[in-house]
Amino acid sequence: MTSLGGSSASTTEYTVRVPKNTSKKYNIMAFNSGDKVNCSAWTQARMERDLSARRIYGEEELPEGGAGSEFGKKQREEARRKKYGIVTREFKVEDQPWILKVNGKAGKRFKGIKKGGVTENASYYIFTQCPDGAFEAFPVHGWYNFTPVAKHRTLTAEEAEEEWGRRNKVVNHFSIMLQRRLREQERGEEDDDDADKPGKKKKKGGGKGGDLRIHDLDEDLEMSSDDSDNSMGDDGENKAKAKKDKAKGKAKKKKQKSNEKDALEDSDDGDYEGLEVDYMSDESSSEEELTKEKPNKQEEHPKGIDEASESEEESEEENQNEEEAKEEEEEEEGKKTPVQVEKKKKKDSSGESETSDDSDIEGETASALFMAKKRTPPKRAAGRGSAGSSRTSSRPGTPSIDSGSTSSTLRAAASKLEQGKRPPQGPSADSPAAKRLKMEPSSQSPGPSGKSTPQPSSGKSTPSSSDVQLTEEAVRRYLIRKPMTTKDLLKKFQTKRTGLSSEQTVNVLAQILKRLNPERKNINDKMHFYLTE
Amino acid sequence: MSEKSDVDLTGAKLNTGVWLVKVPKYLAQQWAKATGRGEVGKLRISKYVSFTLNEELTIIEGIEDKTVSAPRDHPFTMQSVGGQMLAVFTESSSDKIALEGVVVQRAECRPAVSESYMKLKRLQIEESSKPSRLSQQLSKPVTNYKPVANHEYNQHVHKICKRARADKQQVLEMLFSAFEKHQYYNIKDLVDITKQPVIYLKEILRDIGIYNVKGTHKNTWELKPEYRHYQPGEKTDE
Repeated sequence: MTSLGGSSASTTEYTVRVPKNTSKKYNIMAFNSGDKVNCSAWTQARMERDLSARRIYGEEELPEGGAGSEFGKKQREEARRKKYGIVTREFKVEDQPWILKVNGKAGKRFKGIKKGGVTENASYYIFTQCPDGAFEAFPVHGWYNFTPVAKHRTLTAEEAEEEWGRRNKVVNHFSIMLQRRLREQERGEEDDDDADKPGKKKKKGGGKGGDLRIHDLDEDLEMSSDDSDNSMGDDGENKAKAKKDKAKGKAKKKKQKSNEKDALEDSDDGDYEGLEVDYMSDESSSEEELTKEKPNKQEEHPKGIDEASESEEESEEENQNEEEAKEEEEEEEGKKTPVQVEKKKKKDSSGESETSDDSDIEGETASALFMAKKRTPPKRAAGRGSAGSSRTSSRPGTPSIDSGSTSSTLRAAASKLEQGKRPPQGPSADSPAAKRLKMEPSSQSPGPSGKSTPQPSSGKSTPSSSDVQLTEEAVRRYLIRKPMTTKDLLKKFQTKRTGLSSEQTVNVLAQILKRLNPERKNINDKMHFYLTE
Repeated sequence: MSEKSDVDLTGAKLNTGVWLVKVPKYLAQQWAKATGRGEVGKLRISKYVSFTLNEELTIIEGIEDKTVSAPRDHPFTMQSVGGQMLAVFTESSSDKIALEGVVVQRAECRPAVSESYMKLKRLQIEESSKPSRLSQQLSKPVTNYKPVANHEYNQHVHKICKRARADKQQVLEMLFSAFEKHQYYNIKDLVDITKQPVIYLKEILRDIGIYNVKGTHKNTWELKPEYRHYQPGEKTDE
């Protein structure tokens, strides 16, 4: 090192060397300033390449020789690739991200992704000072941006979208992950994170448990519509969500059942273009408005009320012409006479096959009797799809969807769901438990109902125009959840909410119970009913 | 092939400081041409930092014009690292990873503007603006050969000649040895291998093998389970 007396004060001169043939490749490890990373505080670190992309990139490796191989497979595959011009991108280990683990198992983890274009126009050099005072310059081979990796569980993109929609409604954020875990459990996945749950503990029984369960159902309902076709359901929406975009033609949904996940439409603008609508004499437009109002109204309900949520979901469906026809009918009509209610209930619930005649008559009387009244359409679980007769009844002259085809698809869908539900934590990954529960009664109906009955899935699609439907489905749900006395059940279906007089409620409830034939148990000297699934 | 290695943290612990310097391409090229111990120039640090390129390295290859050469003086523009934390790690040929240090200063090496530098730049721009594809005039026409899949020598034997039925035992032996190598065979390939008439071969196959109609290995023959002795990843004798 030579120092020059030089013109300016204390100029020092250093030799710069660029060593040749270094075996070491220099790279930059860049951290975000917000992460506050202090390298000197690291006691131990391990770093390796993240090769998880290899199996995505790499083609299926078939055994070459011996068992499972085919003669000439390789050549054939190559010829096929050339013919179609398939160019596969090479998997370069050099470009794969790094995984850096600091301070062992309990420490931090980072993922370092290579930054492209660093060495294209200018070269970066690392100048280090040697003991002899000279500088040595090494070219930088690659630049990796390291970001910390979250160790806690996170929501997937779909779930996050959902939660975003509910952000104004959800107060308790702890429950979000909790619900997710419960859902996973139901699906049979292992839930091993109990310990990590912040705050809210998982409780199965008791009021909290009850709340949770309701939440669960809601969540499930929500998920189902999001997740997969379960179009039956559209249970997906919680009242909080007035997701119009979820409103798809039942028919469409059913048909798209298989591609549901991929084919979710976000805008419902063009959804109803091709559909034919039954028009009530002068109420067509008001219908639409009313239906829209309904969902809005629903949003205000407090979370956790089953029925409300169900109905809300349905209201969110709205705009479903065919499918909705029934609901709309009810909505606009509003006031449901007991007769109507019962008839409708019969229609909806459980596969009692009402003939189209019935529905026809009913429809007409319905139009005559009903007045505009806001009401959430009942949950239309699978029922919706059945377009069918009820629709046509109230709207004469609407061929609308071929009920036959819809119901057959619906039936198929329903039976599929049922099958999915059957095997524990079965393959029906898409339908959350709640949905399955709902589906079940519905799926049982397709058989008997046949074409004439609108809903294969009786369940939720009760026409009653109140928040709470006294349907077999609802009763079933309650009884499955916990044993109840008749008094409790009656309490659930308050006259104010179902729109029935107490006598009617009693009658209907009695019928439903007869049909359900629940098991009896004596608790505290009182006769409780319960169902096991 | 994953290099799972402990990172050598000596550099981090010592808090070795390094400079990260951005260097123009032509200068990097000149540096690559350094001889001997690799000395490329001198770094002068005072109030300003500047780098002087060694005389011998100013000659740029490929440019005959003597007036065009790399400039010698390169002032450094110093920049702060900011909040960002930049560490330097090295990967050795033996897949060992070591943390060399932390970047304490960033700098950009700029050439001092001079006549020769401008000329150099102009040459570079001219070269880079040339289109990579040119149209050329050809003197004679081009003969294109159409690709053919079935060359003469490639013709399937079974199309051309008749085959004689060999002894059944021999055929069986051939088949078994073939099935040792691969599990699934197309009937055409088997005919090729055994050089037997199709009907005869099919009869024999019906005895010892099964025909897959569906599944991944469509329309292929394979040995019956009782004849199979496949070990995972190994060939066995039948």
